Amino acid sequence: MNRGNDRHSRGLILEIVKYAVLILGAFAMAVPFIWMVSTSLIPDSVIISYQLIPTRVTLANYVKAWNFSRNFDESVSLGTFFLNSLIVSVCITGPALIIDSLAGYVLARRRIPGKDLLFYLALGTMMIPFYVIAIPLYLVVRRLGWLDSYQGMIAPFLASGFGIFMFKQFFQTIPQDLEDAARVDGCSAYRTYASIMLPLAKPVTATMAIFKAMWSWNLFFWPLLIVNNIRLKTLPLALTMFRGLNVTQWGMLCAGMTLATLPIVIVYLSMQNMFQKGITMGSLKG
Amino acid sequence: MKHTTTTATGGNTQAAWTRGVRPKGRRKALLYRVAELLESYSMMAPAYMVFLVFIFIPVVWAFYLSLFDYSILSLKHPEFAGLANFAKMFGDSVFRVSVWNTVRYSLGTVPARLVLGLALALLLDQKNLFGKNFLRTVYFLPVVTSMVAASIVWSLVFNASEAGLANQMLKALGFAPKGWLADSKLAMLSVCIMSIWKELGYVMTIFLAGLQGIPLELYEAAAIDGVTGWQKIRFITIPLLRPTTFFILVCEVIGSFQVFTPTYVMTGGGPGYSTTTLINLLYTKGFFEFDMGYASALAVALFLGLLLLSWVMRRVFRAEEIVY
Repeated sequence: MNRGNDRHSRGLILEIVKYAVLILGAFAMAVPFIWMVSTSLIPDSVIISYQLIPTRVTLANYVKAWNFSRNFDESVSLGTFFLNSLIVSVCITGPALIIDSLAGYVLARRRIPGKDLLFYLALGTMMIPFYVIAIPLYLVVRRLGWLDSYQGMIAPFLASGFGIFMFKQFFQTIPQDLEDAARVDGCSAYRTYASIMLPLAKPVTATMAIFKAMWSWNLFFWPLLIVNNIRLKTLPLALTMFRGLNVTQWGMLCAGMTLATLPIVIVYLSMQNMFQKGITMGSLKG
Repeated sequence: MKHTTTTATGGNTQAAWTRGVRPKGRRKALLYRVAELLESYSMMAPAYMVFLVFIFIPVVWAFYLSLFDYSILSLKHPEFAGLANFAKMFGDSVFRVSVWNTVRYSLGTVPARLVLGLALALLLDQKNLFGKNFLRTVYFLPVVTSMVAASIVWSLVFNASEAGLANQMLKALGFAPKGWLADSKLAMLSVCIMSIWKELGYVMTIFLAGLQGIPLELYEAAAIDGVTGWQKIRFITIPLLRPTTFFILVCEVIGSFQVFTPTYVMTGGGPGYSTTTLINLLYTKGFFEFDMGYASALAVALFLGLLLLSWVMRRVFRAEEIVY
């Protein structure tokens, strides 16, 4: 009896410790966000001591942050950078999904000479760190005349070994009979791909889309190399302009970061499961 | 020409058209096969064109450039330099410092992420945990934010002034404020802390997925044998998570050797060279000094180093596996 009680209370303490650790941890993860938002709401002139919950609140920092880039170019606001990021990530994600899935389909289903070699080449691209090819890639893009352009930011990422691999894996799970039926009906490979295979691949496509969109939205190193024109800068690139403010205008800096972070956080919160699937997708089958 | 000419008669269609029987006559069969091949290759063409122009050619070019003395600022043509760039590398003290910094960053982030990520995954994997989804969301949130934005906010957290969050916490605990990012001894530590915070949710999520793959029966069987909580983790969960752990370890190590954004944004590689990593150096050499030959040599060295490293990790993990 006594022992049972003992074990019970020990279990209870363990339970409390567990929750305490988890909640403290979560708080530590959230503190930078909370601090960022609260700092963004405090007028810059009164920033001497910071509180997690501000007493005097202003939105002036947000207006200033939105228009900050006008110091460099009158026609450019934070909105311009949002738009650029949107253009780049949509123009990478959309075409890349089609290009990857087409190649994945052929590798999964069609009899062609050199298929293994082509597949290993696609896998091989995953083993090459981007930084290794950054310099020659810069020279290639320069030779194409695509420095300071959207196509320069987009083109190198229109196909990925990872995408091809994921689509190939998925297409291999679709029963062959379905495809045969279509071919007997006289569908070309393109028709079969577009009207049978792709609709069945909706789950993979959606996960892949999230993965690619998030990845390209946060792209930093490549645009940093090739984009100088402020009108073409994407959001991560533009944010580095705020760095100089850490001496004086913390409120405005934090407002800028909040504005930049908010959209992706909202998208994440509304599509959480998809995000986590997109993240884990590579590990499960790889 | 192609498929419309066929009239299948049901039955074993698969065998029928793989034998090329459908179009009548040999010539037709051959033409059909050629058309089919062209169709297949045309479907792959876009992907492999992208690979060719933006990956395969650059890879070869990187190796080639590493053997040349080439500055895109000067008008003179690249000059063959043999292994001079590599020789220069080993004599370059900044290179040695940057390798050391990269190793420090790797050691400062990877083990912490693995241990904390696994601990979090184990805590959050319990079925009847209150607020599980909320907690997972919070831990995962930093992963989706942009590295640049996170680095900028954290550079305020680790600001050397008294207003920085880190210094405020020290003050509240009764310690003197520190220089953090402005202190060459603490700068790398600060970057590591930020980076652990940023990627912890990712590691946790992969571990959680790995935990889902462990069959429940194993735990049930263990429970019958009177195995307690910690033993369960030690003798069932951790050994069975091996493939997941290995995957994360390799990804994290390789990723950590390519760290650039946090050091570039938070410290610019400073103070001094105290946070200059390999990629920071590559970026400076290639895109500030425009010494493309030397920068390519750095890239090639990084590539070979990473190949070696992943080979070693694979060997070590295999060797250990025999013990079990």
